[in-house]
Amino acid sequence: MKGGDSLYRRLLTWLLLPLLALGGVMVFLAWVEAQRTADRAFDRLLEAASLAIAEQVQWQDDRLWLDLPPAALEMLATDAEERVFYSLVDRDGRFITGNADLPGDSRRSIASGDTLLYRNIGWQGLSLRQGVRRSRLEDWGVREPFEVRVAHSREGRDALAAELWRANLAMIMAMAALATVGLLLAIRAALTPLTRLRRAIRARDPRTLAPLELSLPRELAELRDTVNELLARMRRVRANQERFIGDASHQLRTPLAGLSARAELALRQEDPTRWKEALVAMQATSARTARLAVQLLSLTRLANPEYRPELVPLELNAIARQAVRDHWSSCHRQGVDLGVEATGGEVWIRGMDWLIAEAIGNLIDNACRYGGRRVTVQVEDAPPRLAVEDDGPGIPEARRLLMLRPFHRDRDDLEGSGLGLAIVDGIARTHGARLRLSAGHAGRGLRVVLQFPGGTP
Amino acid sequence: MNRLSRLASRWLLLLGLIGTPAGADETLHYPATPDSGPGASLVIHGALDLPQMRPLLEDFHHAHPDLDLRYRNLTTLALHERFLAAPDEADVLLSSAMPWQYLLANEGYAQPLETQAAHDWPAWARWRHELFAFTFEPIVMVVNEALIERYGEVRSHADLLALLERHAEALQGRVVTYDPATSGAGYTYAIEESRLSPRYWDLVAALGQAEAELVGTTGEMLEGLIEGRYLVGYNLLGSYAQERLADQPRLKIVVPEDYALVTQRLALIPRQAPHPAAAERFLDYLIGETGQAVLAGKTTLGAIHPALEGPGTATSLRQERGEALRPITLGPGLLATLDDLKREALLTRWQREFSRRERR
Repeated sequence: MKGGDSLYRRLLTWLLLPLLALGGVMVFLAWVEAQRTADRAFDRLLEAASLAIAEQVQWQDDRLWLDLPPAALEMLATDAEERVFYSLVDRDGRFITGNADLPGDSRRSIASGDTLLYRNIGWQGLSLRQGVRRSRLEDWGVREPFEVRVAHSREGRDALAAELWRANLAMIMAMAALATVGLLLAIRAALTPLTRLRRAIRARDPRTLAPLELSLPRELAELRDTVNELLARMRRVRANQERFIGDASHQLRTPLAGLSARAELALRQEDPTRWKEALVAMQATSARTARLAVQLLSLTRLANPEYRPELVPLELNAIARQAVRDHWSSCHRQGVDLGVEATGGEVWIRGMDWLIAEAIGNLIDNACRYGGRRVTVQVEDAPPRLAVEDDGPGIPEARRLLMLRPFHRDRDDLEGSGLGLAIVDGIARTHGARLRLSAGHAGRGLRVVLQFPGGTP
Repeated sequence: MNRLSRLASRWLLLLGLIGTPAGADETLHYPATPDSGPGASLVIHGALDLPQMRPLLEDFHHAHPDLDLRYRNLTTLALHERFLAAPDEADVLLSSAMPWQYLLANEGYAQPLETQAAHDWPAWARWRHELFAFTFEPIVMVVNEALIERYGEVRSHADLLALLERHAEALQGRVVTYDPATSGAGYTYAIEESRLSPRYWDLVAALGQAEAELVGTTGEMLEGLIEGRYLVGYNLLGSYAQERLADQPRLKIVVPEDYALVTQRLALIPRQAPHPAAAERFLDYLIGETGQAVLAGKTTLGAIHPALEGPGTATSLRQERGEALRPITLGPGLLATLDDLKREALLTRWQREFSRRERR
């Protein structure tokens, strides 16, 4: 498994990324909040200083008068040694006194009492926080409005904001660290069953196909069950193979034992004519045995799912006629009437000629062997079809599928191998054709149909 | 700013009278050694007399012979006006007009000095690493021995008040002090003293009763005292008195025991200084142990550096006078001193108190 595509890493990434984004948002909010808190705290200084100044504003000699208290200015500077500015402005916005002609604030006053307005301003290249207090004299006869403007530089605020933010940052960092550790542990714990499954599979004896017995969480239990199903199928396949091998060796042993017995019997005789008889019989048996071996070999090859013969275009009528010619004489000897019903035109399929011929041969052979007196090979077009029909006893519908299994014989039969239909089935699969068994004409006998895919190539 | 500068210039007329005696526009020039590279120079503008400044500059130039060093002595008024007119002319500004120096720094005209000496400098004697107080000059009384022989010691403000109240007749016209209306320094001291105690107004009233002479500079007071026209001088700049009265055994300098204001000269490097690196070297020297040692040993200005002890240092003065010393706070309160209405209000009050007894 590649490091980049680890489940652990994937989980970690998709959990950590939102966590990081969330942490970033929290850090940003903490910064905004720290700024606001610092401004709130320091705005109290602006409020107090402007009040201290406003209280000293009087009406004297028909004009505004201020005996500036130094403490009001000292109030504005904290340990951070801020730069301090103030000004007193009359009702028309005229500068009365101060050390800086600070700008006014265009926002409206509240209806009653002093109005206090705070904002950040830039003044002669300095970044300042300004507080404007709109007030009025409450003298006997004079109710003159005036405005006290105070401002200081932001060092103290920034220092406090940074301090508050750092404290918050430490907390957020600690939380993030805890969350990350928790996440790592959680992912590790969640992935433990996977490790257990892997270990269980790795620790198995490679020859055993026993199901996995392992208690797992639901998602992995599905995987385990799927694996177990696969194992069960493999068990069935292996059982089939074992039975096939057993049957095959049994099939080969019987004629070999017969050959051996016949030879032994003949050796006890002195008469050469007996020897000749025995040799003829032995030749017939060995020929049959050889044919059986060939059948077994082709069946094994066809059963191999990786066997992909190269299919070439074939004309079905020609193959059917040739097969009938090949088998006609042997059928004739047995008194069987073998015929062919070809179509008018040509029927092209893709396939291997010797396999198709083998299939037709097997079907004719079967038909003769199991009591057919009249066997017909038919070729049909659209869709291309090849059928072999006999008028024998046929096979009951319930048992037709069983006939496709190797070595299955419908009744005791010393001659047949029980491989014929199984081989036809294998050939059909190799060609992607469908094999169908049905009753023959008028409900008698057996009709075996190979339906090939597609039309003429 | 127009209104402000108009206000400022009106004010500046008074400033010229703070401390510095007349005879301004004196210069000192120490050329760089011939073998040093060109371009390295330093221009200092100060309101500090040449006899006080010379030892410092000589020592500094000895340590940095590669600098072409120019010092121009100006009145505080000329210094300030010249700076506002040409803020890129001087590399270092030295002035005893604390509020004005503070005003410049507050408005961002100064650049910070970030050296080790600057960081070690006591917090009460600097502001934001931009403004450094480098002298420690108590405001003193000068008393003629003849007066002490007749009426006893005058050691404190309380003594002076008692003396004035008891012998107002005998001292008619024989007491001298600053006129706060014409002297910036006198006004600064008045505002500070009135903040310290309401009894200051009693003293002003007593001065008024004794028909004290009101003058513009410490120099004038010292002259009158040396000539014998005055028996008592009140609120003289200690550093000048010490220098001028070294050969006047009959005139005794008194650092008051109850409280003594301390004024400090402030140094800053303008933001537009033409030679900032040289300026930093000089300021670093000025507040460094070497420069402060020269200040303590060869001038009467008073060294602040906490590592220095002995005569001519703040440490020894503190040991002597302790809690009584009141250095003028280096903070935004100084801005109040410059407030036009504030000044009018204080002077009105001062005038009222000074003429209180006459009216009665």
